[in-house]
Amino acid sequence: MCPGEHLPTPDSGRRRFLSGAITAIQGAIGATLAFLLGGAVVAPVFGRRRSTWWPAAALDDLADNEPTPVAIRVTREDGYRQVVERQVVFLVKTGATEVTALSSTCTHLGCRVSWNADDQTLKCPCHGGVFDRTGAVKAGPPPKPLARLQARVDGEQVLVEL
Amino acid sequence: MAPLRSFADWLDARTGFRAGRAHLLEEPLPAGVGWWFVTGSILLFLLGVQLVTGVVLTMYYVPSPEHAYDSVRYITDRLVLGRIVRGLHFFGASFIVIAAVVHMLRVVLFGSYKKPREVTWMTGVVLLLLILAFALTGYLLPWDQKAYWATTVTINIARSTPVFGEQVAGVMRGGVDLGALTLLRWYAAHVFLLPAALIGFVVAHIYLMRRHGISGPIAEVEGTPQPFYPYHALKDTIAMAVVFALLLTFAVAFRVPLDSIADPSDATYVPRPEWYFLSLFQLLKYFPGPLEPVATIVIPGLVVGGLLLLPFLDRGPGRHLRQRRLVAAAFVVLGAGVVALTYLGFKDSPAHADPSRWSTLALAGREFVQDHRCQTCHRIGGAANPIADTRVKRDAEWVRLHVTDPEIIAPGTRKPPPGGMTQSQGRAVASYMYKARAGGTAAQIEGEHRTAILVYGRFCGNCHVIDGEGVKQGPDLTRAGEKRDAKWLREWISDPAAIDDLADMPAFNDKLSEEELTAIANYLAARK
Repeated sequence: MCPGEHLPTPDSGRRRFLSGAITAIQGAIGATLAFLLGGAVVAPVFGRRRSTWWPAAALDDLADNEPTPVAIRVTREDGYRQVVERQVVFLVKTGATEVTALSSTCTHLGCRVSWNADDQTLKCPCHGGVFDRTGAVKAGPPPKPLARLQARVDGEQVLVEL
Repeated sequence: MAPLRSFADWLDARTGFRAGRAHLLEEPLPAGVGWWFVTGSILLFLLGVQLVTGVVLTMYYVPSPEHAYDSVRYITDRLVLGRIVRGLHFFGASFIVIAAVVHMLRVVLFGSYKKPREVTWMTGVVLLLLILAFALTGYLLPWDQKAYWATTVTINIARSTPVFGEQVAGVMRGGVDLGALTLLRWYAAHVFLLPAALIGFVVAHIYLMRRHGISGPIAEVEGTPQPFYPYHALKDTIAMAVVFALLLTFAVAFRVPLDSIADPSDATYVPRPEWYFLSLFQLLKYFPGPLEPVATIVIPGLVVGGLLLLPFLDRGPGRHLRQRRLVAAAFVVLGAGVVALTYLGFKDSPAHADPSRWSTLALAGREFVQDHRCQTCHRIGGAANPIADTRVKRDAEWVRLHVTDPEIIAPGTRKPPPGGMTQSQGRAVASYMYKARAGGTAAQIEGEHRTAILVYGRFCGNCHVIDGEGVKQGPDLTRAGEKRDAKWLREWISDPAAIDDLADMPAFNDKLSEEELTAIANYLAARK
């Protein structure tokens, strides 16, 4: 058969019907595969981080109204692994049995802030972001205050939800 | 639609894709091409499914002995749809082996390998070997017991190659022992080398098929040729849909097996290959010692050589089986041999301990870790993870030492709980930790059964073995009830010296209560 020479197609209606059937069946197979594979690729994106109340410090160890950095040993799932890491949070004792907890992650680009007792601020070493003891932005590029974490006092123990 | 059409026109003017598509799809097929000729398309489709599911699996799989098992466990148990994707890939491998054999038998049945299609046939035989190589390399990747020990056997078989045996095995192992380097190179072969070779040979195979046209029915059928698309393409498509539905059913309905993690020190594990290698595995049993290369090299070599050379051995023009009695006889003998050996292999294989069934020690270990001494550190916010959330990374020896004397592990860093557990309890906790890592669960135990398991876990596991776990100092108690009844066992455990002066076993009447003695005696007597 030479190129350009067409085969006889006696019944173009039937031909169109068969083509449609092929497209439909292959489309169904393709869609099933795409759903299963796409789902498996995208699923972890929607994974929620499981939060737990972690014991962070003894209430007595916190100074009044001053952010105290506390390292909390946290275990979390990282895909197929289990990771243990120390997360630093600032605990501020705001009342006899009231504590607020601030994330130590700068809201600008994710560096770690540290407490500066001299001028009573939390400073970010990366781009000069400055926060006050409540986490509000005082200077620099950070777009919003430091994240507040859930904290509660249970007897003598301060618990933080991470 | 108009803008789409004008874009398609523009693209066609630049690329000529319509002519290309027409060339691909409008191949004229001889009249009488029926359902027999869908086998190749099914195979191609299944290979495509393996390719795409394989790519998704590589997004989650880690080819290292430390992580491979956990990553496969993650895919199977926790990744949304992961179980089905792995199922498609796992069962797809078996489907491909079947589809390849069916396709080959179709070609043999129709005499399609004859002149001028000799090279098409030979590329097909190479493709079959590549498919088997995929199966072999993929088998190791989950790094469970089955993977590790089956691969040990595979590499030892390669060692029986005459003259170069050690070198061949060395290249397959990539190191002195089966380990991290082996896993990496088998992974590289499975995801880079073999796919590249497969794609190359598939392209060659299809190109050659198109070059010579398909062989068609044995006896010419009256009628005008019809284009492949849509007349035969619909048959192909329906066949693909049926096979895909079946494959998906398998992937959804059946759990892909995953044993416990590979343990090179476990000498009790008896490996068994995947079913399509079982005939070869069984063949080994009939050629012991110096005759082994007959089973590992000579017979498989003759079969592969015979297949490759088939078009040159059978050169007559007749395609009908009646004109090719020798070929028919050879394939019947080969097929019967493979089927018989596979059957014998299934019958001969030891029944595997079901990995989801927990051993006595593991059940006891699960109870022991509830102990308050463990919870001193293993709790939320404690010095260590709660045990239920801990995935054991250390070897069993470490766990045993840690349980018997927690201070040994981290002397001075924190106050250890007072008093460790017994050696036997250490083994029980280690057994439990490994079971838990393998993702299994077991029903709660209670009553006398629980009492017996706790007694066994506390005292017996350091000298006795049940289901392959423990220490072989005293007799294996897996089937203790076959020889002795509960009454005898109770007397023996109370005071062995009262029955036999030379007994090595210590008396337990001062360590166990009456209920405990009765419970353990009944428990062991029931094991038959």
